[in-house]
Amino acid sequence: MFWTVTLSLLEGFVNTLKIFGMTLLVALPLGLVLSFGSMSRFAPIRFIVKIFVWIIRGTPLMLQLFVIYYVPGLVGIWAQSAQIDIPVINLLVEWLSTWTIMDRLAAAFIAFIINYSCYFSEIYRGGIESIPRGQYEAGQVLGMTKSQIFFKVVLLQVIKRIVPPMSNEIITLVKDTALVNTISVYEVIWNAQRFTKTDGLLWPLFYTGVFYLAFNGLLTLLFGYIEKKMNYFRS
Amino acid sequence: MAFLEVKNIKKSFGKTEVIRDISFSLEKGEVLAIIGSSGSGKTTLLRCLNFLETANGGEIIVDGETIFDAERAKKYTDAEKRKARLRFGLIFQQFNLFPQYTALKNVMLAQELLKTGTKQEIEAKSRDLLDMVGLSDRLNNYPCQLSGGQQQRVAIARALALSPDILCFDEPTSALDPELTGEVLKAIKALKNSDRTMIIVTHEMNFAKHVADKIIYMADGIIEEMGTPEEIFENPKSEKTAAFLQSSKENDGV
Repeated sequence: MFWTVTLSLLEGFVNTLKIFGMTLLVALPLGLVLSFGSMSRFAPIRFIVKIFVWIIRGTPLMLQLFVIYYVPGLVGIWAQSAQIDIPVINLLVEWLSTWTIMDRLAAAFIAFIINYSCYFSEIYRGGIESIPRGQYEAGQVLGMTKSQIFFKVVLLQVIKRIVPPMSNEIITLVKDTALVNTISVYEVIWNAQRFTKTDGLLWPLFYTGVFYLAFNGLLTLLFGYIEKKMNYFRS
Repeated sequence: MAFLEVKNIKKSFGKTEVIRDISFSLEKGEVLAIIGSSGSGKTTLLRCLNFLETANGGEIIVDGETIFDAERAKKYTDAEKRKARLRFGLIFQQFNLFPQYTALKNVMLAQELLKTGTKQEIEAKSRDLLDMVGLSDRLNNYPCQLSGGQQQRVAIARALALSPDILCFDEPTSALDPELTGEVLKAIKALKNSDRTMIIVTHEMNFAKHVADKIIYMADGIIEEMGTPEEIFENPKSEKTAAFLQSSKENDGV
């Protein structure tokens, strides 16, 4: 039984890892773009991004999962029943109606990417704004372009400063993946619950903690290593 | 026409006029020291010359070429500003070295980005510059491993790397412990002997007296008095200048 459970949980953990990996892959760069938006000198962009970040950080991720999963389908149904007869709209309706059968995992990806981009963007913003103005000015008087200053002078200093808050957020992400349970994506806890329902076993549920702990242990080691690697300079 | 001509520079922040019409000129190889109490606009003037601030009025002419004209200020592209900027080098009060790079790389970086030569040429030139400021044994140290005086000397080498026509110093020793100012002042003196055109904003009166060919005393955003070190220090014409020199002398005594 132990091996059956372990294998089943491992299978669930693959989905956990998929959500984790996909979220990092897209949200890390997207967060940087959002952070530029929230620091933009163009007020309307700054305003829109700030409102967006406020909404996403101000509502539960679980609720966002529901919205991403259910709302496109609802819109599709509504659009079909409204019978608007304009070619462009028809195409849109057709496309939206396919969303009713949107893949659960895809919905989870989208919700997590949006949610974590917003959190990451605030970490980036904090890091970028903490770099002293003198660093930019030193680059300017040496004739560097704005992008050279960002990539050659500022970026590594920002990375050094954001590793601790980033590692915190990324470890939270590992545990947050359990939320996809609510839209029936099979992950490690979902698979454990099946044993509770069918075999009356509780221990598989507690056993899932080992998977999270082991993975977060690895991440902790990795972040510790990165911090140590960047210890050669102080900023 | 003089090598550097600064004409009628004005700068205000909001309603506060920090610089109210400043003009001066400098010959090639001359050293100008700007003295004055805090808030007199010395640093702002230097920042205007380096395009870190955009002056609201006036012109800057180097070697006959108008590199800044406030009337056209808004039309300058980033590329034009970068090019004009390279006429000047700036050494900051807080050094502002790039912490993630070694001393050598700090000096090399801008040359590499501007592609001023082959990798070997750039490295050789950077080594020479660091040697000149007495840091040939510190090439591979990171800024955090260097003392303030050493960091400032790296910053001098870094500014020289792009061979600017005019080298500017913004209170280069103000952030240093007293026992470290000597090494930096010595490095600047050595530059004077190699015929560099320099503008130095400083609180070190003795240094200004000995190194400068020309002194400007600034007060309330204007040039209160301008002259040779003898004229300013021995026979100040303005009462304000005399009072300022007197009080700084007294502070030295304490």
